[in-house]
Amino acid sequence: MTITNTYEPSAKSQAFLDSVENAKYDRQVVTGLKKFIQGKVPEDMKGFYSAAEIAELVALKDTDRDVESRMPVKMTRHYFELAKNSQPIQVLVKASPKETFDLDGASDPGKQMDYSPIEGLIHKYELGLIYVASTCSAHCRFCYREELIAKKDVARPDGTMAPKGLAQIPDLVSYIKQHNAEVAEGGGRHPITGREKLREILMSGGDPMVLGNKNIAAWFSALAETGIESIRIGTKELAFFPDRFDDSFFDMLDKFHATYPETKLRFMVHFNHPDEFLQKDASGNYIDHPEGGLTWVPSTQKAIHALGSRNWLNIDNQAPLIKGINNDPDALRIMQRELKRNRVENHYFFCGRDIVGHKAFNLPIEDAWNILNESQKGLSGVEAHARLSITHYKGKTEVVAVTNDPMPGVAGSENGVVIMKLLRGAADAPLRGKVAIMGRNPEAIWFSGYDDRVIYDEAGLFAPAVDHSALKLAEVG
Amino acid sequence: MTYVVGENCINCKYGDCVEVCPVDCFYEGENFIVINPDECIDCDLCRPVCPAKAIFSEDDLPDNQEDFIEINEELAQEWPNVTSSPTSLADAAKWDGVADKLKLLIR
Repeated sequence: MTITNTYEPSAKSQAFLDSVENAKYDRQVVTGLKKFIQGKVPEDMKGFYSAAEIAELVALKDTDRDVESRMPVKMTRHYFELAKNSQPIQVLVKASPKETFDLDGASDPGKQMDYSPIEGLIHKYELGLIYVASTCSAHCRFCYREELIAKKDVARPDGTMAPKGLAQIPDLVSYIKQHNAEVAEGGGRHPITGREKLREILMSGGDPMVLGNKNIAAWFSALAETGIESIRIGTKELAFFPDRFDDSFFDMLDKFHATYPETKLRFMVHFNHPDEFLQKDASGNYIDHPEGGLTWVPSTQKAIHALGSRNWLNIDNQAPLIKGINNDPDALRIMQRELKRNRVENHYFFCGRDIVGHKAFNLPIEDAWNILNESQKGLSGVEAHARLSITHYKGKTEVVAVTNDPMPGVAGSENGVVIMKLLRGAADAPLRGKVAIMGRNPEAIWFSGYDDRVIYDEAGLFAPAVDHSALKLAEVG
Repeated sequence: MTYVVGENCINCKYGDCVEVCPVDCFYEGENFIVINPDECIDCDLCRPVCPAKAIFSEDDLPDNQEDFIEINEELAQEWPNVTSSPTSLADAAKWDGVADKLKLLIR
């Protein structure tokens, strides 16, 4: 084999890696629309797209409205079984011509390339996000990383166009070491960005759980060896293929924990709707569990309990609010309540970003706030932790409140106001906690809908974007 | 969809691909390695690591290598599964880029 990398695991790492075994999985993935068009899918899947739906999608092929070029189509057998009885799940995974009616949107939402010092790494906030896979077991139609999944060319700061690439262990290890050395030399703060040492890495993509146990273990141990204290794994595999969380996976997790007990794991899961994990009866109703709560789909319950029983890891849920999927306060209330009872914290709900095609998916921001607020009426305090977040170029922003009545003496507040607050910021987040207050716009699906009615903006959400090129570190060789 | 090992692998068989595959879907012959199209999950980890640039996504396969779709499918059923990288063939570098290697494929 040719030598392709210069990272050498330590003896301790290697011993751990040698103990990890891969298993084979039977996801029965159906990739693309071709098999549906040709009628070559399993018998029970044949009606999933109707003849009329297929005709509409075929008509768009080889045009700039082709749905598969915007976002590849993919589904697992497990998810199909859930979709059969659930309109929301169908909306999540079925391709539709509506996705390309209006191709308005940013080619690199959030201008993430501005925060990418090495390929496959986004270092915007205090943690680093790495792409470790450019695919998932199934694809959400509203994916905001469609530019990665569809391998679209994205403009880089130096002007070149290329698809986003995955992170590589040797380059990331070098970056972390260099960054943290510079922080140490700076007396505990980075001389340019002011950040503390890099402590947390989020494995993302795509879905890290499409990788085998050995690949995941290689990342875990390399990050642990480099001093990373917390590793997040962002995954929707619990919804798409819960059997991935099998004994071989937990064997690897437990061995990792035994080898590196101080490197904690945080599973960021992505349930969008309770139909992804709750059983339904013949009439489509959830089923009361005889001993309390609702009855889960067995394989999902098994996976969640196995994860949740390990007290050295955390599980948090986050999901976007998408038209036709979860713009439903009752479903959201049930989801938040059942997740919290099963060791999953409710972390965020999101307003959709301004991805290409976003007008097909995004709810008006003010509707999203009202829906989440309604859903949290009747939840106890610990069940209602999730905030509504919308990601600005500057950082994650909470949609704090939407009011309806005029505020005497405040011009622009005649129909009420929207209050936003910057929650996370780039580098050392100097503007965290700052607010912006705008006049109401019930049709706004993105910040741009408020450009003409800003009342107060200490967060600078509506000021011209700042050039962050000065924050970029020197290229790692 | 799947990924497909194309002609330039023949007589090179560098084997870097096997190491990175998360689902162990490579099957090894004497002077060629193939991908099992039913097991491949389109993760795209193998394509960039092949020194011979012999691996393609099915949609990006050059027209003159269309035959390799069936060749991969067929030989993946016959050959043994390989999960750690075999040693590349001794004169891999010499064969890298040589045209018309299909006739040299040892089935």
